[in-house]
Amino acid sequence: MTPGHASPGRRPVIAGLGLTDVGKFFGRSAAQLAAEAARLAVADAGLELAEVDGLLVSAGVTRGVNLSLHRDLGLTDLALLSEMQAFGATAGAMVAHASMAITSGTAKAVLCVFGDDPLKEGRSASAAYGPRRTPSGWRGLLTSAGISGANPLYALAARRHMQRFGTTTEQLGHIAVAQRKWAAMNPAAQMKDPITLADHEASRWVAEPFRLLDCCLVSNGGAAVLVTSAERAEDLRQPAVPVLGWGQSHPGHLQRHHDDFGLVTGAVRSGRAAMGMAGITVQDVDVVELYDCYTYTVLVSLEDYGFCGKGEGGAFAASGALGPGGTLRLNTGGGQLSGFYLWGMTPLHEAVLQARGQAGERQSPEHEVVLVSGNGGVLDHHATLVLGGAA
Amino acid sequence: MSLGPVSRNDETAAFFDGTARGELLLRTCPSGHWSEPEAACCTTCGVTDLSWSASKGTGRVVSWSAVHGRPRDDGSADRRVIAVVELDEGPWWWTALQDVEQPSEGLRVQVAFTVPAEDSETVPYFVPA
Repeated sequence: MTPGHASPGRRPVIAGLGLTDVGKFFGRSAAQLAAEAARLAVADAGLELAEVDGLLVSAGVTRGVNLSLHRDLGLTDLALLSEMQAFGATAGAMVAHASMAITSGTAKAVLCVFGDDPLKEGRSASAAYGPRRTPSGWRGLLTSAGISGANPLYALAARRHMQRFGTTTEQLGHIAVAQRKWAAMNPAAQMKDPITLADHEASRWVAEPFRLLDCCLVSNGGAAVLVTSAERAEDLRQPAVPVLGWGQSHPGHLQRHHDDFGLVTGAVRSGRAAMGMAGITVQDVDVVELYDCYTYTVLVSLEDYGFCGKGEGGAFAASGALGPGGTLRLNTGGGQLSGFYLWGMTPLHEAVLQARGQAGERQSPEHEVVLVSGNGGVLDHHATLVLGGAA
Repeated sequence: MSLGPVSRNDETAAFFDGTARGELLLRTCPSGHWSEPEAACCTTCGVTDLSWSASKGTGRVVSWSAVHGRPRDDGSADRRVIAVVELDEGPWWWTALQDVEQPSEGLRVQVAFTVPAEDSETVPYFVPA
């Protein structure tokens, strides 16, 4: 399948993958982590930095990475350079943008880079995503009511799903438990100790219906991928992972009356676009890496991508379908819940490893089609990628 | 759990003038469509000549949560009930909900106002109607 009207030699592939240390460590800034990840991705590909002619930069919650990354990398005479921001959808959007740059001939080798350093010594993890200024204006009005950060807003979305479809906290717990099992097989994961449904139910409330084990981690780290053409990747060091399809969706109902709120997300449109471009259906997908800022996000995304029917996500999660040995290989690195939280780079990183067949003991035997999701804001921004098995 | 203080800025000045009078102001367009106070254009027809109009301040709970603070040394933690309220005019409003611990979808509610701190604007919250 050739996306768009690209000539065969300009089919986009992911040829390099970089991941720094991730988790709770201090002493390296977001910009330094981003630069390190970029260099790792270039080295992984077996390319020289001087061959990189495109750079897409994405900052996390600390906004610590910007265009000056090209200077930190010593990159000159770039054909493509930009900051991108669609929150949790940014990683997928960067790969899509880079792929369009490759197919059009705009650039020949594009780095997509993310870095974040929310964890600071002597400060709680929750402070990283809490209010940062004296509450003022519309945002301040929300803070005044106790609504700050993503937790309460996603909780309101999840509650709506529970009200409408009878979804239960125990069903959400199945997702947390399954992903922790996967994380135990991922050397990069922050949380590897097994958990049970009882542990999930016993974990403290964060924002009802979410308990602590429904919420993603907070991590410092950097990640990068290198996108180039299939032709250029032929003699590179790693198996090239084809980017078969991409799609985005931005429903545009940011905190206003929206009857689908919490029930149906933009992943429907984004997934349809990406799978359509790739010429596949959901039945063809071997491995799924879904953005999992909360257990609920996984559940509603499973429905919206079509892995189960609308409203059936809870029953599907509780059916034993998830986790190692289940019928759907989902968030095989432990995801953001148990692996690490580098926004959309978390599912993308695991997807590339799986597509290459390099995921160690958690490797899926079938990995011809890997679906990756990104989700930003509060279900406001969606990006989907379909990756092919490495040649 | 009480509400926190908030200050005004250019975008919210008219809104907080309203809350000081005991009014929850929304935006209306010349065709009579209602939009949320933050709207820069009509959410129904897109026009930008919006006026401020007072809501009746009544509505129903669309969804709710209770936000828990980090546990203190004695194990206790703050619990604040929040909700999405569908105002009877149509717009949704993200707000604090008081005098009810376990609301349910569809609960009828009405607006109330408080000044959380000496240097704060008057802020709206909701209680069961």
